Amino acid sequence: MDFMPCYKHQLIRKTVKEFAENEIKPRVSELDRDSEFPFDIIEKMKPLNYFGLQVPGEFGGADLDTISYAIVVEEISRVSAAIGLCVTVHNSVGIYPILKFGTREQQECFIPAMAAGESIGAFCLTEANAGSDAGGVETSAQKIEDEYVINGTKIFVTNGGVCGTILVFAVTEGERDLANVFIVEKERPGFSVGEIEDLCGMRANPVSSLFFEDCRVPVENLLGKSGQGLKIGLAALDAGRIGIAAQALGIAQAAFEDSVSYARERQQFNKPIAKFQTIQNYLADMATRIDASRLLLYRAAAVKDSGKSFSAEASMAKLHCSATARKVTDLAVQIHGGYGYSKEYDVERYFRDAKVTEIYEGTSEIQKMVIARHILNQPS
Amino acid sequence: MFKIIVCIKQVPMVSELPWDSKTGTLKRELAQGMMDPASRRALEAALRIKEDRAGEDQETHITVISMGPEMAREILYEAKALGADNGVLLSDRKMAGADTFLTSFILAEYIKKESPDFDLLLCGSQTSDSETAQVGPQLAGELLIPAMGYVQSIELDDGMVRVQRHVDDFMELLEMDLPGLLTIDQGAYSPRYVALEGIERAFHTDDIRTVNAGDLGLDRDFNALKDSPTRIIDVYSPATRKENQVLKGAVKKVVGQLFDEYGKIISGAMGKDLKTHDHEGAK
Amino acid sequence: MTGTKDIWVLGDYRNYFHSRVTLQILARAAGLSAKTGGRVCALVFGDHVDEYVNEYIAHGAETVYVIDDPALKDYSVENYSFLMTRLVKEFKPETLLVGATRFGQEIAPRVAKYLKTGLTADCIDLDIDAKGRLVQIAPSFGGNLIAKIITPEKRPQMATIRPGTFQELKHDNDAEGEVIRLPLPSDLPAKKIRCIRSEYKPSRNRKLEEADIVIIGGRGMGSKRKFKKLFELAELVNGEVGATRPVVYADWISHDALVGQAGKHVKPRVLFSFGVSGAIQHTAAVTDADFIVAINKNPNATMMKMADVAIMADANQVCSGIIRAVKEKIRD
Repeated sequence: MDFMPCYKHQLIRKTVKEFAENEIKPRVSELDRDSEFPFDIIEKMKPLNYFGLQVPGEFGGADLDTISYAIVVEEISRVSAAIGLCVTVHNSVGIYPILKFGTREQQECFIPAMAAGESIGAFCLTEANAGSDAGGVETSAQKIEDEYVINGTKIFVTNGGVCGTILVFAVTEGERDLANVFIVEKERPGFSVGEIEDLCGMRANPVSSLFFEDCRVPVENLLGKSGQGLKIGLAALDAGRIGIAAQALGIAQAAFEDSVSYARERQQFNKPIAKFQTIQNYLADMATRIDASRLLLYRAAAVKDSGKSFSAEASMAKLHCSATARKVTDLAVQIHGGYGYSKEYDVERYFRDAKVTEIYEGTSEIQKMVIARHILNQPS
Repeated sequence: MFKIIVCIKQVPMVSELPWDSKTGTLKRELAQGMMDPASRRALEAALRIKEDRAGEDQETHITVISMGPEMAREILYEAKALGADNGVLLSDRKMAGADTFLTSFILAEYIKKESPDFDLLLCGSQTSDSETAQVGPQLAGELLIPAMGYVQSIELDDGMVRVQRHVDDFMELLEMDLPGLLTIDQGAYSPRYVALEGIERAFHTDDIRTVNAGDLGLDRDFNALKDSPTRIIDVYSPATRKENQVLKGAVKKVVGQLFDEYGKIISGAMGKDLKTHDHEGAK
Repeated sequence: MTGTKDIWVLGDYRNYFHSRVTLQILARAAGLSAKTGGRVCALVFGDHVDEYVNEYIAHGAETVYVIDDPALKDYSVENYSFLMTRLVKEFKPETLLVGATRFGQEIAPRVAKYLKTGLTADCIDLDIDAKGRLVQIAPSFGGNLIAKIITPEKRPQMATIRPGTFQELKHDNDAEGEVIRLPLPSDLPAKKIRCIRSEYKPSRNRKLEEADIVIIGGRGMGSKRKFKKLFELAELVNGEVGATRPVVYADWISHDALVGQAGKHVKPRVLFSFGVSGAIQHTAAVTDADFIVAINKNPNATMMKMADVAIMADANQVCSGIIRAVKEKIRD
């Protein structure tokens, strides 16, 4: 067991950090303020393989291992959680299911454009009456000759406003209802994008509703075998959780770093507040949570790369990293006092961004369910 | 085949340099390393030459060389990720503490021994840590080849380069016979970001060679620290403290105080009169 | 080899009158030779260079070695380094000083290499120790520290000197000096570098370096938007805006405005420093300011300690405060 980062992981971290600090950081508060998705920054990210992190070289990707993937998402999110979200959702729940379940033809058809960042991926499961309970999905896909006709409305779709390739979770009615995932290109008639949501955090990501009104896709756009929808959905979410855990970790890291420098600088009672034991306790607590989160995350990533089931590990990482993000950003605001509650300081944004990591890609409660199921399924 | 050698250095990441202001020492061992920004521009120049030539179906081979501790291997991988063909790490405890005279000597020893047939040597103009700007010219002196510093653009021609540079208020267009050495200006050849695919590829083959003092045939008692012609006799933190006046409190108050007490100095420098405050006499 | 005690200074005249570094070093060399004995000598190479020979004598050179030949018309590193090496070997000075202009920085390392001696770059001070050796004082370790360096055995002791480090002596029309004219050596090597074109083109913007009021903003200004306030202030007080490295990196202002070791050195009568913590690379470039006002929330910031007036407050708010105050106070 080696806990030291290797040269490759170190280099990946520095590379991404450099890009994020130089290209994203100067604009991050205005992107948040204006709810602006930065197409120009995305353009710069494309040739650097940020949209094909784990895609094999033959399709134009970087073919990274999962720890590297987590580091990339962590470092982007450390500067902008909203752009980190775009990247992780695109790569994990957008691309990964096609790589894992898609036919060779589907991969050749969809992956190169996605890996090049020319077509941004989205995954939509959530509906007005279905979230944690995937069984409540009402979007339907009716097979008519060699096409599926999709009808329904999806909400809270990350990257919704800019997506090009959408994985849609729908129910195919028949003798028995089958859960299926379809690949829908944004050009398909009957597909449309709803309004961008006005959310508490992640404001630079165009999260939106998506409408499918008699939206027809050829049968070749069914991902996996008919009825595999749930399996695909769960696999996508497992992968997605590693990404969200990494995103949460990045937010926490940023909040922690800002707190340390603020505590060193801010004077009260004629000394830097870092000299006070209360602040020191906060910092120690933040650092320990972050470190524990990071270890859980990289372990989950390593298990994924080993080819074994990583469902429980991913859930633990996601549960812990998101809790860390919420707690650490909370303490960061506390350390910053009134300034921390002001938009002048980044911690205010971290605080808003952190909360949703406990909600999407499976709420913390769902993660515990997954973990508990895993424990109780073990032979006694 | 056009052969380019780029000399690069690992330097501490300045923004993260742990600096103890009390003891006035640098915790260099805690500092993260990175590729010296000037070296990166030199590498960028090499990469662009390679790309231009590739467009004309001409081959170019880029070797990167770095002298430093084992951890400097990281920047050689980075150089490979960016497009260099191979990397060499000159690393030995006996090389530690070399001043520019000996650093250029060691680099030259390697080049003479292992790649004497190079066409072009590229260096950054000055590293971000020591900023001496001496290793490049001294390396050229050691190899007895021509050199030009602070180059802003390079154009290859048959057996020579044509370069443009702006030095000491002169814009110059110069020609230099090859083989020769160029150092790249800090404002030219803005380096590209590393593509992630490149990093993955750089680690697929572990072919970064390590060369020690013995491999170079340096004397058994070679010791860069002892043999350097210059010696550091004292290092101290620059005196920054001076008797000063600290103003604190509400912005309006401190700004008022500033102008009450120092308004004349400020207006003098401005070359404009400023109205003095009512109670200036009370000072 | 036993040599003389002479201190040699390379006459780097290309930018004369603007560049005064040769005169500045001559002044310091005079101070050093008072301690060590030996003469202060200047080296002048070129074509029709009497003007500079006289100028150096008027500024403290006791002896000037001159090679005046049409073949030296180009300001060439190859020729200069060959001639300097030849002359040093022949006349054996104890010390050889070169201005840290770009030309000086190209030529000095090469000469040191040919002479197999040490060289300290970009000195900010020079002294003589108890044993009569030249103490070369230069920024080190990324400018965070100052190092004292000696050249224990090799001769000559060589250093390049940062322009602006020393005060030149007053021009003395009556000064007398010995002029030693030497012929161009017959074995001057063929040049491998050819100058196709060279035109005088002063650097983009000298305003910052010459301004009486310089306003420098650091990351403490908060954001690009707030940083822009500094331009308003600059407009009001006839000042120029400079910046620290992080600000330039964050693209709040162009690289042109960088004040620091890798950028410009400023010497205003009044320097306002807003939200600058004071990495030494930066502070080294502002020490020549006559009067420094620093504004920072952190009183322990280096910049606050080197200021004449340290205002402990939010940089951005104080900037607005000063703008208001100046507007009120400007007489119509």
